[in-house]
Amino acid sequence: MIGKSAQVSDAFERVTGRLGYVLNHEPPGTLHLALVRSDVPHAEIRSVSTAVAQRCRGVVVVLTGEDLKGIGIRPRFGPVYRDQPVLAIDRVRYVGEPVAVVAATDARLARAAAAEIEVEYDELPAVFDPKDALAADAIILHEQSDERGPSFADIILQGRTGNVCNMFTLRHGEGLDGFRYADRIFENEFATPPVQHVSMEPHAAVAVFESNRLTVTTCTQTPYAVRDALAHMFDMPASRVRVIVPPVGGGFGGKTYAKVEPVAALVARYTGRPAKIVLSREEEFVTNSKHQSIIRLRTGVTADGLLVARQVDALFNAGAYTDISPRLIKNGGYGAIGPYRIPHVHVDSRAIFTNLPSSGAFRGYGVAQGAWAYESQMDIIAAGLGLDPVDLRRRNLLREGDSFATGEALHDVHFREVFDDALSLFDTDAAPPEHDYIKRGRGCAVIIKSTITPSTSNATMKVNVDGSVQVLTSTVEMGQGSHTALAQIAAEALGIPYSELQVVGPDTDVTPYDLTTSSSRSTAAMGAAVREAAAQVRQQLVSHAAKQLKIDPDDVEMRDGVLRQRGTEGTLSLGQVVSGSKLGTLTATGSYVSEGGLDAATGQGIASDHWHQGAVAAEVDVDIRTGKVMVNRLRACVYAGNVVNPVNARMQIVGSIAFGLSQALFEQIIYDNGHVANQNLSEYALAGWVDMPADLQISLLENPATTAIHGLGETCLPPVSPAIANAIADATGIRCLQLPMTAERIIDLAASQ
Amino acid sequence: MIERSELRLRVNGTWQEVRATPQDTLLDVLRRELGLFSCRETCGIGLCGACTVSRDGKAISSCLVLALAAGEWSITTAEGLVQAGQLHPVQQAFVDAQAFQCSFCTPGFVMSLVAMLAEPPEQRSVAAALSGHLCRCGSYGQIAEAARQLMADHDMNQEG
Repeated sequence: MIGKSAQVSDAFERVTGRLGYVLNHEPPGTLHLALVRSDVPHAEIRSVSTAVAQRCRGVVVVLTGEDLKGIGIRPRFGPVYRDQPVLAIDRVRYVGEPVAVVAATDARLARAAAAEIEVEYDELPAVFDPKDALAADAIILHEQSDERGPSFADIILQGRTGNVCNMFTLRHGEGLDGFRYADRIFENEFATPPVQHVSMEPHAAVAVFESNRLTVTTCTQTPYAVRDALAHMFDMPASRVRVIVPPVGGGFGGKTYAKVEPVAALVARYTGRPAKIVLSREEEFVTNSKHQSIIRLRTGVTADGLLVARQVDALFNAGAYTDISPRLIKNGGYGAIGPYRIPHVHVDSRAIFTNLPSSGAFRGYGVAQGAWAYESQMDIIAAGLGLDPVDLRRRNLLREGDSFATGEALHDVHFREVFDDALSLFDTDAAPPEHDYIKRGRGCAVIIKSTITPSTSNATMKVNVDGSVQVLTSTVEMGQGSHTALAQIAAEALGIPYSELQVVGPDTDVTPYDLTTSSSRSTAAMGAAVREAAAQVRQQLVSHAAKQLKIDPDDVEMRDGVLRQRGTEGTLSLGQVVSGSKLGTLTATGSYVSEGGLDAATGQGIASDHWHQGAVAAEVDVDIRTGKVMVNRLRACVYAGNVVNPVNARMQIVGSIAFGLSQALFEQIIYDNGHVANQNLSEYALAGWVDMPADLQISLLENPATTAIHGLGETCLPPVSPAIANAIADATGIRCLQLPMTAERIIDLAASQ
Repeated sequence: MIERSELRLRVNGTWQEVRATPQDTLLDVLRRELGLFSCRETCGIGLCGACTVSRDGKAISSCLVLALAAGEWSITTAEGLVQAGQLHPVQQAFVDAQAFQCSFCTPGFVMSLVAMLAEPPEQRSVAAALSGHLCRCGSYGQIAEAARQLMADHDMNQEG
């Protein structure tokens, strides 16, 4: 079963439109919510006039930040610092911050009433650029450090001062002193804009308070984190909060941690009626985004092209509230070093508060920003030294047993292989361009990415009396195919047909704890938990079969989904064993817990349980009349360990390429005094079918020597942008230091360079 | 806000009594009144294709038309393509090619390809049919594969 494609169990529902997204859920009597959002970037709230709205048709309740005071709830949430109010309390910190919520019997009535609410503000100075936010006279967004949430084992909280939300530091070798070994030092500043996830399904949640229990059906990637946030908010034991996650219509990081669930739960609690919220596309743009980054990268090299020292000074724009920034700047900090042997490294990575919507997790998780810097700079260094950029990389790539800049030894290292594999794109030549104004160029990039460490996954396996098997998992199915892969892993581990297996998705009342569906971790981490659960179930089956056969367990063998006494013909089915056990079902829970963590001061330790390794080679045509870039050919290679489902694995890589290409050429949220200026899919450009490379090659580098599963859902995203930038530079001599590489930017750079 | 009024719509081959206000889009009514959840709002401005339904055989964005204008039309949604529990060939091609990931956009793509295949052969264009649709998961390659397979099957049936 492992290594083969498998029919998606709910394919019928997927193509007929009957898949049960949150959007379709609506218990009788449901109230529909509309939010009133701040239209100023930073202000004290003077007053919120709700009287007219309260009287509007269909309106059941209107709540503001004032209503959150003194009603026995804890009105702020956040996965690291609980600093984000459900509804703004006394002050707003970004355009789009929820100020009031209207609950009505119909969504359109709720929106109509929300338009009647007037908010008066006393405006404060606002700051949008992370560098401006660090100025001595900058307005401070958060005067005091907010209450720390339960947080996570890997997160280091330090450096909070002024508008600095958090800081990550890494010191390796002689740090900055290492630059004395360099013959040449290259220094550049690279920038990436804020970007929206644009999952096709918007954020949505339905909350029900019943019998002193809260049930929330939502499209989150982190059911347990949402459960715990809600339990804390309403001061309830977690046992009375239930989070159910039906199939999700795309996540890409944007649905990690509580987002719209708190306000739905608030209304449900206040009214005693089910409350449903569905965000519009415009609201998605002010809910969460990829961190804007400014990375100053200094690299010392010897004359013959060995990297000896690197300094990373990274600013990540956190927006108004913390969300998961402290982890992202950590991963983005060491993620900006690259897959190279560099003996002396110095990293300062900071998350900065500004008056913009909060940034959060986004496919690539900080590494896309770092790779944009270091893989662009590799070509700049090569040009400066007169070396071939491919040779420069090969000379410096990490090898088996090398230490990463965190001090940990790397194993299962395949950078050279994935890099060379991607470059095989250039073994053949396409027909030359037909016009002399089309310039063709080639570029490449190779990256290293961590997975969240330490982390925990649990899976429960249940064998029914008919021999059918269920896997209970809190891994969220959001299109990445995890449930199919987990079913394949379980079927293989038990030796039963895939068709007899059912995966039961996240319901915190039913499915055991999992940290998160993110970080390319589910097939690897949850897969390991499933294998462990299967091993325990197998042991139970063998033990019960031995009792029934009145033989020693060592004499029982389980093969092809049946049990028998070794060397005999007669068999017992799984169902017969369960039936004979008189237990009704056999159940076991398997766990996977990884260890690690970094020293706060030096960033030394274990950053990742295993390392994601990927490379991209790209060939582009640049129309020098218009600046238009076409990526005609692209090859991506990922180190894939032992592939469970090759079709799904490939589709994850293609998805990463689509994301990377879209961000390379088109995507940026444009703010005008804190207002999103391109808040819809007409003005915010996404790559579509016609923009995908006509020749797109995907390569999964497997390791036949391992049964270990390797994450791969994000790995080939970060190298896309720098590979394209390097190809553009190769074609035209134009070097972009800032994303996206729009036609306008290319034309402007052509004029100025 | 104007009251909802009665409206007769022909959806998936059946005349249905629904209630709609003048502001309601066809998408609003298909979802709210008829529980046809295959059409979905993703952009609300006719750009993403996720709300695509068939109007008398042509693919349209149901978020862009008012429900009250749809009384004379024959509307088909992805749910209505299923006959006696059997998937429509376009839906089956999507299953065979595994042309979906999160699947939120899938019914829209299906409806546009159904409409495209109903065109005279010389007017059929996969590129044109797919250009009005976004798939953020990036399943374009598999969707194009499903479309290629359908075109090939269709041509074979024509010749046969």
